[in-house]
Amino acid sequence: MGVTTALEALSSCSGCEIAILNLGEALIPLLTEQIDIVHAPILMDHKYYGQCGDGGKSLQIPEAVIGIVSGGVSNEEHIEVLQEMRKKCKVLIALGSCATQGGIPALMNGQDSEQSFDAIFQTLSTDPGAGRPDRIVPKLLDRIYGLDEKVVIDLQLPGCPPNPAHIAEVIMSVLEDREPVLPTKSVCDTCPTRRQGKGVVDTVKRFVENADFDPNKPISDMRCLLEQGFMCMGPVTLAGCAKRGVPACIEARVPCRGCFGSVRPKGNQLLDMMNALASNGIDCMSVVDRRSIQRFCGAHGNLRPKKKSAVKEV
Amino acid sequence: MSYEPKIIAFCCNWCSYAAADLAGSSRLQYPPNIRIIRVMCSGMVHPEFILEALNKGADGVMIMGCHLGECHYLDGNHITMARLDMIVELLEDFGFESERLSVTWLSSTEPDKFVKAVTEMTERVKKLGPVQGEVQTA
Repeated sequence: MGVTTALEALSSCSGCEIAILNLGEALIPLLTEQIDIVHAPILMDHKYYGQCGDGGKSLQIPEAVIGIVSGGVSNEEHIEVLQEMRKKCKVLIALGSCATQGGIPALMNGQDSEQSFDAIFQTLSTDPGAGRPDRIVPKLLDRIYGLDEKVVIDLQLPGCPPNPAHIAEVIMSVLEDREPVLPTKSVCDTCPTRRQGKGVVDTVKRFVENADFDPNKPISDMRCLLEQGFMCMGPVTLAGCAKRGVPACIEARVPCRGCFGSVRPKGNQLLDMMNALASNGIDCMSVVDRRSIQRFCGAHGNLRPKKKSAVKEV
Repeated sequence: MSYEPKIIAFCCNWCSYAAADLAGSSRLQYPPNIRIIRVMCSGMVHPEFILEALNKGADGVMIMGCHLGECHYLDGNHITMARLDMIVELLEDFGFESERLSVTWLSSTEPDKFVKAVTEMTERVKKLGPVQGEVQTA
């Protein structure tokens, strides 16, 4: 019998669960000897109200030592599930960027939710269309939240998807009752590309043209993408995506997208990146879609509906 | 109008803080809405300070430094200026009106200019109304 573990997915895509499965061979001893999964709606059949609906009126999640939650909080059902998880689990782990800082769903925080819903449920060219659903489906919250905005989270494990090695490390650290050893430095710190100095770059290019590299040569022969003038989020992003020694996006010879969130705890990637560009004499206004820098960390108030200039005097 | 805004002013040690000091000892009257934070140079005011102030409920932020070319550290206020365009743009991204930030250059012998800047900023923020800051939960 292993340590009881409950998994739960809120506003997420199940990619984090796939990342757990991506542990590969290492998953087998973990599952057979170390942990005992008692609840995981995405990976196995286990229902909230008893298997035949005989479990009463309130949501039931079995007691567990380790609780792993992926996905952010976007509706009232999510809050209910999350609070039940917090109640039943001794150690609650936020798995993936959605859980730790909102992730992709939190992109919606950047626009007015009324307008978004009108755009989704109604079109100008056809009949009035369906109204916004207000029954049966859970009510949406005013914005998408990271888990730590709603309950106390014991361990944060960002990434889109998280690195399977880190998932194992976090689980083992709980089993062995020690602090997990996770990366704390930036993506640049783990990046092998060649840095030659800041050079003559004064604007930022969009990644519509390919980077300059020789496909037959290793990554370490490619020049730093930021130095090539591309918007690479490496300097402000937490390391951890390097599964084969090279950050995942850099390995594919594309700039870092910033999926692990800010390298500084509670940092702000957009602000840090723009500040870095400004203090290096690069024209910040040449970043066309700068709000999308927050594409993985829209919770915690990092993305809000845009406010334009002054409000008129009443 | 009963609404009294809170304005955080980052004053550099060498010019604008001295100007504020002189304004006080000269008994000049100015709105009590500002809270002065002394920094060594306006160039050390990281954009995060500004955002943090607004997020935590300040209604406006003023940055005050020496006149350009008169920085105690030679080019500190040029750094402030380089960041400024960026911050003004970004404030809108974070859901704040760009008018909530102002920058003033003044020397230590210009308390009247300090008073004028503070008065103007207070008026401006009063028109904008209270800030819609981040509400922290859990």
